[in-house]
Amino acid sequence: MMGAGPLTRDKQDTLLLVAAALLVIAPHFAHLPWWIIGTVCVTLLWRVLLTWRGRRLPSAWLLLPVALIAMGGVFRSFGTLLGRDAGVAMLALLLAFKLLEMHAKRDLYVVLFLSFFLMLTNFFYSQSMLTGLAMAATVVVLLAAQITFQYTGIVPPLGQRLRLAGRMFLLAAPLAAALFVLFPRVEGPLWGMPTDTPGPSSGISDTMAPGTMTNLALSEDVAFRARFDGAAPAQRRLYWRGVVLSHYDGRTWTRIGGRLYRRDGDAMTLRVTGKPAPYEVTLEPSARRWLFTLELTPPALDVPGERVGVTDELESFTVRPLHRRVRYRAAAYPEYAVQPALDAALTGKWLQLPPGFNPAAYELGRTLRRDAGVDDGRVIARVLAMFRKERFAYTLQPPLLGRNAVDEFLFVTRQGFCEHYAGAFVVLMRAAGIPARVVTGYQGGELNPVDRYMTVRQSDAHAWAEVWLAHRGWVRIDPTAAVAPDRVTLGLRGALPQQSPFGLAALRSDKDSWFSQLRFRFNAANNAWNQWVLDYNPERQRNFLAELTGWVVDWRALAAVPALLALAWLWRQLRARHRRDPVQTAWERFCVLLARRGVRRAPDEGPHSLACRVAALPLPDDKKAAMAEFLALYAALRYRALDDDERTRSARRLAKLLSLSR
Amino acid sequence: MLEAFWRRVFRFERRKARDGDVVLTLRRVYILPARAGMAFAVLLVLMLIGATNYTLGLGFALTFLAGACAIADMVLTVKNLAGLRLAGGRAAPVFAGDAARFEIALHNGGSAGRYAIRVRFGTDGATEHPADVPAHGSAALALALPAPERGWLRAPRIRLETRFPLGLFRAWSWWQPDLRVLVYPRPESPAQPLPVRGAASEEGHGEVGLDNFAGIRSYQPGDPLRHLAWRQIARLAPEDGGQLVTKHFEGGAVAELALDFAQLPPHLDLELRLARMTRWVLDAEQRALPYSFRLGHHHYVAALGDAHRAACLAALALHGREALP
Repeated sequence: MMGAGPLTRDKQDTLLLVAAALLVIAPHFAHLPWWIIGTVCVTLLWRVLLTWRGRRLPSAWLLLPVALIAMGGVFRSFGTLLGRDAGVAMLALLLAFKLLEMHAKRDLYVVLFLSFFLMLTNFFYSQSMLTGLAMAATVVVLLAAQITFQYTGIVPPLGQRLRLAGRMFLLAAPLAAALFVLFPRVEGPLWGMPTDTPGPSSGISDTMAPGTMTNLALSEDVAFRARFDGAAPAQRRLYWRGVVLSHYDGRTWTRIGGRLYRRDGDAMTLRVTGKPAPYEVTLEPSARRWLFTLELTPPALDVPGERVGVTDELESFTVRPLHRRVRYRAAAYPEYAVQPALDAALTGKWLQLPPGFNPAAYELGRTLRRDAGVDDGRVIARVLAMFRKERFAYTLQPPLLGRNAVDEFLFVTRQGFCEHYAGAFVVLMRAAGIPARVVTGYQGGELNPVDRYMTVRQSDAHAWAEVWLAHRGWVRIDPTAAVAPDRVTLGLRGALPQQSPFGLAALRSDKDSWFSQLRFRFNAANNAWNQWVLDYNPERQRNFLAELTGWVVDWRALAAVPALLALAWLWRQLRARHRRDPVQTAWERFCVLLARRGVRRAPDEGPHSLACRVAALPLPDDKKAAMAEFLALYAALRYRALDDDERTRSARRLAKLLSLSR
Repeated sequence: MLEAFWRRVFRFERRKARDGDVVLTLRRVYILPARAGMAFAVLLVLMLIGATNYTLGLGFALTFLAGACAIADMVLTVKNLAGLRLAGGRAAPVFAGDAARFEIALHNGGSAGRYAIRVRFGTDGATEHPADVPAHGSAALALALPAPERGWLRAPRIRLETRFPLGLFRAWSWWQPDLRVLVYPRPESPAQPLPVRGAASEEGHGEVGLDNFAGIRSYQPGDPLRHLAWRQIARLAPEDGGQLVTKHFEGGAVAELALDFAQLPPHLDLELRLARMTRWVLDAEQRALPYSFRLGHHHYVAALGDAHRAACLAALALHGREALP
């Protein structure tokens, strides 16, 4: 701050306010149209210049047309004045213009309150930890600006004002945290959820063609996080089931959209055995409807606020696309049998193959069937052996395939990603007369040792196959595992040859390196942020409060409350005693004592004149002597320079004399 | 309007403020949201609705943070007043029609500075005086109050109000200082000539001036300083046997300036007679004429000086209203 600089206090205050407003608007620059950014910047700059030069603010006759033109511009840009984005743009412009139209103190509050609201709207676009930190800093500056305008005389330097604002912030933070946790939440939305920005959808889609998974494999975005109540299952068992693709048109696999699952359905039998592994999934918004479950989770998902459906191919989905993070609990069984007694007549749709495509593959399937006879297991083993023994390669950059994609892949290129292997495998199975389908989802996940959350990324997207075997039902076969066993045991990174420059990838895959540790910690913090700040919904609040009540009712907590109160009381007492000067206390008691004897001290009376009056009192000599000594000692303590040691001793003596004078 | 409503509901204003030096304890500080605070509450509700509708976790965080800041502001606003020690200071006498000035001191024993405390008398239309009290320090201010009438003027209740630090809340307290000012009657204007009666005047020669120098005599306590015969005093230093001497005026010595209320024409208004006496006291002091004073049972022998003047003016001020209001 320019303490004695050319800027008067008024100007400094205004500049602080403009700075605070800039801090509020700046995050919006990321998504506002360029002309609004320009207008806001020019307006703020104008305000700064006017303040600097000490000019008067422009009149309403100038501002009003400008504001109207700006409103027109917003309408042109967004096609509305009411939508979310249009509203944010209007608010940003309003804040900038309001800074040019400040005449009374009331206008200051308008600016500050607008700023608070505009900060809130920024969370439509970003709610990251960084945004949270920026919010905290902006709040401190806003508070400092608001405090600044309250002074009537002395104005402390900016640093001190910021400190005061910081102190207020720290004072408010625990209360805000308590309110955040305890304030009853209402499940939003209160009115129709805004649909003006659905956002791009991401993740597993309902179709699979060569290249689909490869694109996903390059994305580091988090698909979902999972937390197991107990130990997490082994990496190779982590098959997260998503979409089942059963229809093939020669190039693209699509869903056939099975019937809705009915628990007591005729053909839908499901037997699960073994010890279940309970887990909780926090699914990132994908703008799609698919829910992912660990194989095999009996289909009974409960997603708060959403209606969930399940098909007879064991896909779980919500009725509405998911634009928000959702959380659901489930339990997976290690051993299961799905539709073990399926009527052969019903398996036709899983034997479908488009005629006129991939003749070589169809031929190979028929040959395999002929060689194996009725033994489906031999057919499967032969195909997997072919993938394993012949020179098939697992790569993220497979060559482009032509019309007969499966033929080209199997007999020419022999390089592919999981979708190539799964797709080719299912084609071969169907050609050999075994009902088969492609299952897409995620395989694996990275367990964060810090918070025990497992992160499943888009790069973990995977496709595998399911074949139906008589008496055993649908059996999962992962042909990719035959080619690249590491894909299943180590994840994508472990399976692909290292190509990253500078060995960064190597650094990342090493779980014990400091870089990994740092990354785990950051991810854990980020996850905690998501779980506790962004997704603290009514359901989570209920659970947490139930847990909290359970804890509070615990006897230790019950005992702790009075103990803490007693400690606080003791602390107060100690502090109060410490603060009171013992000499002064003794003096006051002495005066009370004298008053009882009829000697009332006049306000201007000191110990010496009191001593004269005490001498005249009709009292025993020893008492009188004690009183006289008390008064002399008090005078010495009060008005003479004594060292600390002497002072302590005298104070003790004073207390003694006081009791003698009684 | 709203304030009047609260006043009626809670009868805050009827609580009696304690007399004398006081510490504004928590119980004596009242607080209510200011208009800005109510607007802020509306803003908080809007923010809460927005955060709920769009399920903005961080939006809730901001809303609750802003709300908590308002509550912190409430605490700090009360603390800005509570614990302040108030003490009355001097209050010099004034003439009726002038403004009486009451000095008060605000002592801050705390380790945090107190800012933007507006102090004013609780009467309508009183001007506000802003005060800042630094940590472990004090601030002094003088509040002016019109003194239209002679007699004792008690300081009315003092209202201390603050909205610091955020201005969302208004905390206030009342204090009845134990302060009073003596208001002298307003001097008559234009002035009447002083009622000087020399020896000669009694013989029908009219008033005699005081400038007939008639020699010197030795100094006696009570002689006005301006009558000291400096030339003679300077001639001999005291250690050489010199002494203070006073000029002796013929006529003036015998002339007696007697201000006697009973001598004033009784048909005149009481206040006018008091005003005339006041003017004469002032004039006599100004011209350094020793004067005797008689009003009711007050009878002062001829003298000059501040104490004499004050005693005379006090007698005039309190004539007929000796008791404190």
